[in-house]
Amino acid sequence: MSIVSVQPRRKSRRDWTPALLLSPAFLVLIFVVLVPLLFSLYTSFTNYRLIRPDSLYEWIGLRNYQRIFTDSKFWAAFGRTIIFLTLALNLEFIFGLGIALLINKITWGQRTLRTIMMFPMMFSPILVGYQFKFIFNDNIGLLNNALQSLGIGDGAIAWLVDKPLGMFTIIFAEVWMSTSVFAILLLAGLFAMPRDPLEAAKVDGCNSWQVFRHITLPFLMPFAFIAMTIRSLDVARAYDIVDVMTGGGPANRTELLWTMIARVGYDNSRMGQANAMAYVSILLSIAFTYYFFTKLIAARKYMGGAE
Amino acid sequence: MKLTSMKALVSGVALSVFAFGSTSAQEFDYGSFEGYTLRVKLIGGAQYEPLYAVISRWEEMTGASVNILSRKNHFELDREIKQDIAAGTLNWCVGSNHTSFAPQYGGIYMDLNEVIGDDVLAGFQSLALANSTVDGRLVQLPRHSDVSNLFYLKSLFEDADNQTAFKAEYGYDLTPPETWDQFKDMAIFFADAPTFYGTQYVGKDEAITGRFYEMLVANGGALFDADWNPTFNSAAGVESVQWFKDLYDAKAVPAGVLNYLWDDTGLGFASGTIAMNLDWAGWASFFNDPENSQIAGNIGLVRAPVGSGGLRSGWAGSHTFSITETCDNSAAAASFITFLTSAENQMIEARNGLLPTRGRVWDDVIAEFDAAGNEFMVNVFETYAVSMAEDAFTPPLIAPWIEVSNEIWPRLQAAILGEMGIQEALDEAADAARLVMEDAGYL
Amino acid sequence: MASKTKKQIGKVANWILTFVLMLVIGLPGLWVVLTAFRPNREILAKPAIWIPEKLSLDNFGKIFGYGVDQIAIPVPSYFANSLIISLTSTAIALLIGMSGGYAFARFRFKRKNGYFLALMLSRTVPGIALSLPIFMVWSRLGLIDTKMGMIIIYVALNIPFTIWLIDGFFRQIPKEMSEAAQVDGCTRWQAFWKIEFPLAKSGVASAGIFAFLTSWNEYALASQLTRSTDSKTLPVGLMDFTAQFTIDWAGMSAMAVIIIVPALILTFLVQKHLIAGLTFGGVKG
Repeated sequence: MSIVSVQPRRKSRRDWTPALLLSPAFLVLIFVVLVPLLFSLYTSFTNYRLIRPDSLYEWIGLRNYQRIFTDSKFWAAFGRTIIFLTLALNLEFIFGLGIALLINKITWGQRTLRTIMMFPMMFSPILVGYQFKFIFNDNIGLLNNALQSLGIGDGAIAWLVDKPLGMFTIIFAEVWMSTSVFAILLLAGLFAMPRDPLEAAKVDGCNSWQVFRHITLPFLMPFAFIAMTIRSLDVARAYDIVDVMTGGGPANRTELLWTMIARVGYDNSRMGQANAMAYVSILLSIAFTYYFFTKLIAARKYMGGAE
Repeated sequence: MKLTSMKALVSGVALSVFAFGSTSAQEFDYGSFEGYTLRVKLIGGAQYEPLYAVISRWEEMTGASVNILSRKNHFELDREIKQDIAAGTLNWCVGSNHTSFAPQYGGIYMDLNEVIGDDVLAGFQSLALANSTVDGRLVQLPRHSDVSNLFYLKSLFEDADNQTAFKAEYGYDLTPPETWDQFKDMAIFFADAPTFYGTQYVGKDEAITGRFYEMLVANGGALFDADWNPTFNSAAGVESVQWFKDLYDAKAVPAGVLNYLWDDTGLGFASGTIAMNLDWAGWASFFNDPENSQIAGNIGLVRAPVGSGGLRSGWAGSHTFSITETCDNSAAAASFITFLTSAENQMIEARNGLLPTRGRVWDDVIAEFDAAGNEFMVNVFETYAVSMAEDAFTPPLIAPWIEVSNEIWPRLQAAILGEMGIQEALDEAADAARLVMEDAGYL
Repeated sequence: MASKTKKQIGKVANWILTFVLMLVIGLPGLWVVLTAFRPNREILAKPAIWIPEKLSLDNFGKIFGYGVDQIAIPVPSYFANSLIISLTSTAIALLIGMSGGYAFARFRFKRKNGYFLALMLSRTVPGIALSLPIFMVWSRLGLIDTKMGMIIIYVALNIPFTIWLIDGFFRQIPKEMSEAAQVDGCTRWQAFWKIEFPLAKSGVASAGIFAFLTSWNEYALASQLTRSTDSKTLPVGLMDFTAQFTIDWAGMSAMAVIIIVPALILTFLVQKHLIAGLTFGGVKG
């Protein structure tokens, strides 16, 4: 905000009021996120195995990190996670934008449409996983049944197993679940859009594509980056979906960092090693979020807006 | 272990409990634990919960009350118990357990020989007790056992056209398969993808490791040698994986099998689109229930096939109850699990098709179904009785079993999909399994 | 005239496209709802039975323990747990979010962007990576399997987004308004509640609905930290329908309907505020 109120007598208070106002937030986050994270950072340097509590004190230095860094399966999962995040977030943005633009034009029944649009947000990720597991089942699944009834294709498509299709289905499920968030935020952005520049542009003879490209889209970009940032924050929710739908298989074709961490940590009880992986995945999420955040700040500056 | 010999082992106590029906439960002294609250963690799910309805009877008899802390499926329960070990929160007494999972938990469960009398234990099948023993300690009391046999659609085998066509193509008669090779021939013969399949198999997690393991044994191989060196990358191992791959390549199994677990294979067979299905006894009544299944009344059953090593496959396990070492009242806990596994209460589960661990209950449930004219279930129990007695074996009862399995199954999938050669995949899995065994101190 | 027909065509095309998109969004969910009212036999049929032959409430009855051999799933307590945990954590997250959002919007302090980013980044930690460490800490504090334990976690999950939304909203309210009120003799506290809060209400409402939906649907952490009817929530209860060998998809769908309907009703009611709230106070004209 560019306006700074000048009231000198309050100046001394300003030094601690924001700290006070922010302290509950930081206290909760330190308690729930930071402390557990420090604990897991420590365990990533130990040979910690869940079923042997005393192994918590077996310091092994960087061996967990050495092991995962030299493990090609880990790097494959790492790469797959990046592909998953990039594709999912971009598709969600594109579809979300499309839906927002369409709904924005419709005046009659819009409230109902908006509720339908938000329908997937009511679904718990675990439910989304089961739902698509049954829809994409190759033998008795809804989709293959429909294709067979309509006589399209040769029928049994192994959606959850086939090499590109396996990734496609988990991305589809993730996109289905989360596009709503983009759509609703972008729709809000469209609602906030000032009319004058649009009309001025039309008077100047711009066609609708030019209007969209040069006026609507730049105005929407901060909203898009907000949505991107928000989504990149809790994108790991997709773990629930992937775990139910494919569990990372077959032959690691859909293995993401999160499914790998869960298997190593809980099923194999190697919590120290799993936490080393978790740290790598946290750094990855941070990188994504930081990237969108800087974009957001830049877009806001471009808009001449706040901060 | 012959079933007939089991009868002799049934204790007088167990006999009297059953003979007098439901009112006789008081005959066995379950003790009195007035005011005590027993904290338990039980496996949940439709197949397991009917038994829990009788818990209130135990509460009435003993004056204790039962607090069910968790009721989850076994994979969730496994995580929870590991968390409890890690955090030192083993403040409960009785937990559901499984023969495949038990060795991982180390010393958290007590040796039941200390708290359950020999007269009670004598009522159980000795094989079931042997499989429940880890490092010489009876860490669990078997509740029901499980092993797989081959369900098939009767009408397909009775069809005269099928019989002639099969004989012409393969040179022998179309009867329910006796060997894994015949099983493969018939699966390929019946398949008509994408609308109908010869068979299916579970394709991931410990499930496919287990199927691979039992076929490996049937083909004369072994997972480990006597010194715990992995030996499953042998010729028998390759032969076993080849079976999975051939069916997959011939489209005799649904294209998605590698993502299938037990629910998918069970529901798939019930949908009437699968000719033959190697599956657990617990599914039998579901398959034959017209409310749930399209194939009710059309199901035949034979024992699991024989491998090239001359053995039948018989991967088995038992659902069990364990008592923690930290339990504050092990007498009450012992009374509770004795009650839940009594002959009378095993009948509750047996009526739903789960396989009892007391010899006496086998005869009683067969007699009961016979009297009710339910030929299908009589056949189910008779077939399974033989396989429990003659074919059943467990995976190695070692702590890193699940970890070893997690190294094996992704490579099996890679081999079946053709991403790796079979020998190459098994060699790689054997190396990884060796590392796990080294870390665990076996090598 | 030509441009008018073109416009008409555009409108129709717009409608058709919207309809198709809504179908893709709606169908998978509606299929779950339909499944809830059908017997297993029909759901799993092949070839598929497209037009339901039999619709009934049997699956719901089974959940509540009517019928042979059925153990009731303690849906009422799951429901109560979910409601208590979601509502309380949402309320607390909103209070903390308002306080934090106000601080970011109205004050200047050093490293503001850094603090803001730190808040956001706290949310990037995957639930699966947090579950065990939290479990260890919670077990020392006796918070395992308590509603309080889940409430604290959900407050933490929702704070970053709540602060973000509310910060954006407060910024749009001209500072002069509250300053004018303060000149008129209001304290800053009074000015906040009388002037700024009413204007920011939609922002708070939309932050609230997002926070509520996050808590209502969260599974990864709840599945690890809740254990009994003392604290188990509805999404965790879905797993009651899975056993070693079977998934009761019909029963699970019925339970899903029980989870979805309250969330849907709430969203519909808050609709109006939601869009207004998310425009970040986009005051026009």
